[in-house]
Amino acid sequence: MNWTDEDLVARSRGGDLDSFNQLILRWERPIYALAYRVIGREEDARDVCQETFLRAFRALPGFKGQAKFSSWLYRIALNLCRDWIRRQRRTPTVQLPEGVDPSELAAEQGPVESIEDLVSRRELSAVVEEAMALLPDEQRTAIVLKEYHGMTFQEIADLQGVPLSTVKTRLYQGLSVLRRHLEKNGRTPQLVKRV
Amino acid sequence: MSQTFQCGDNTALVSYLYDECEPSERAAIDAHVALCAACVAELAALRSARLQLASWTPPEAELSFQIVRPHPSTIARGALAPHRAGVRGGDPALSEVEGQASDPRPQNTEARGRRPEAFTGLAVWWGRPFPTWAQAVAACLIFAAGLALGIVGGSVPGNAPAASEAVATTAAPPSPAGGPTAVSNTELVDLERRLRAEMAQLRTSTVTPGAVAPHGISEAQLLARVRTLIEESEQRQQRELALRTAQVVRDFDSQRNLDLAQIQRSFGQIEGLTGAEVREQRQMLNYLMRVSEQR
Repeated sequence: MNWTDEDLVARSRGGDLDSFNQLILRWERPIYALAYRVIGREEDARDVCQETFLRAFRALPGFKGQAKFSSWLYRIALNLCRDWIRRQRRTPTVQLPEGVDPSELAAEQGPVESIEDLVSRRELSAVVEEAMALLPDEQRTAIVLKEYHGMTFQEIADLQGVPLSTVKTRLYQGLSVLRRHLEKNGRTPQLVKRV
Repeated sequence: MSQTFQCGDNTALVSYLYDECEPSERAAIDAHVALCAACVAELAALRSARLQLASWTPPEAELSFQIVRPHPSTIARGALAPHRAGVRGGDPALSEVEGQASDPRPQNTEARGRRPEAFTGLAVWWGRPFPTWAQAVAACLIFAAGLALGIVGGSVPGNAPAASEAVATTAAPPSPAGGPTAVSNTELVDLERRLRAEMAQLRTSTVTPGAVAPHGISEAQLLARVRTLIEESEQRQQRELALRTAQVVRDFDSQRNLDLAQIQRSFGQIEGLTGAEVREQRQMLNYLMRVSEQR
């Protein structure tokens, strides 16, 4: 049976561990992706992801369902990311791919996408990652939540604890910086391929 | 209600970009964009940036976290060993987030590419490096403990290290300059002569056969042991003498080679100088002869 998050949360609060593990299975990838895009380090993103679920599990008795479970989870993850960034006291470094191996790429991807397109997309991904690392934390987080997690302005405002207008300003400023960086690296709009 | 839009209202532009604005606001921006090339360009650039953002994918990570309880049934299901239970947070009912050895459950789209494997235990406290201050404290404690043991061990009279040091001191030959290479052949010969004299004295000393020493060992046995010790010492001295002699010979040879090389270099320089002088004199003579012939 396909349980909703709310169902699984209720069962977890009743002591059903498997239900909470289903929630983990459902949300670990998005939480990991969020953590990675915000802090930019794979191992640390894994740590943050794991710690998020551990904290959620411990705090589950206090979760009354006022917000969506996913929003609550995102809030925990973002708080952990913020703590991590404070500890690091520096701009997050991103791990750029050292090179592209076409044979490896061909092996891991299906035949739908050509190798040329795949290489181009990987290169573009590296440039975007580099550009995102240049952004201030709050702008990067706003863009990540909006672009990759489909949140509304209001949800982002709630998560970041700022007014709606601030979220929009952060998004605009972040996108402007990204645009300039990408143009500087030869990523003009004409070259963009929809993937 | 109709709204107006002015160039430079970036928050409204962002709302329009993400299609999160009121219908009236959208209509106002639509009307403005139809006439304003700058806003059209700005929107196109922002859309381009958004489009390129879609290419950024995080690397594949092996997650498969799982909460397990320290219960025997978890072992049967293949979860990690329960001896790691409760190491974080102090909650006896909760183990911690663990990886699962195999995951037969259906996975959603976000979990594609998951590879079942035992999680490496990122949250395990003993797997993490200790902070610097903790390492420093541990080092100080170890040092203090070692120091205390050393003090206690050194205060015991007649302990083993002291005895062995005394033996080593008596067994070592006297070294006036502190190093083995500083011993001269004369000193070695003197030492050998002295030892031989002592041995001869021991051999000629009057010993009553069959007498018993106060320690219960007969004097013959004692004499035999002494002779054995002397022979061993003699052999040791001979070996040492041979080594020292070889060392001296090597040093002498190397020094002689160096001296010969130096002498050869000096001869070469002298020959070169002499040759140059001879050439100059010969040139001078030739010049004088040419001048005298011209006259």
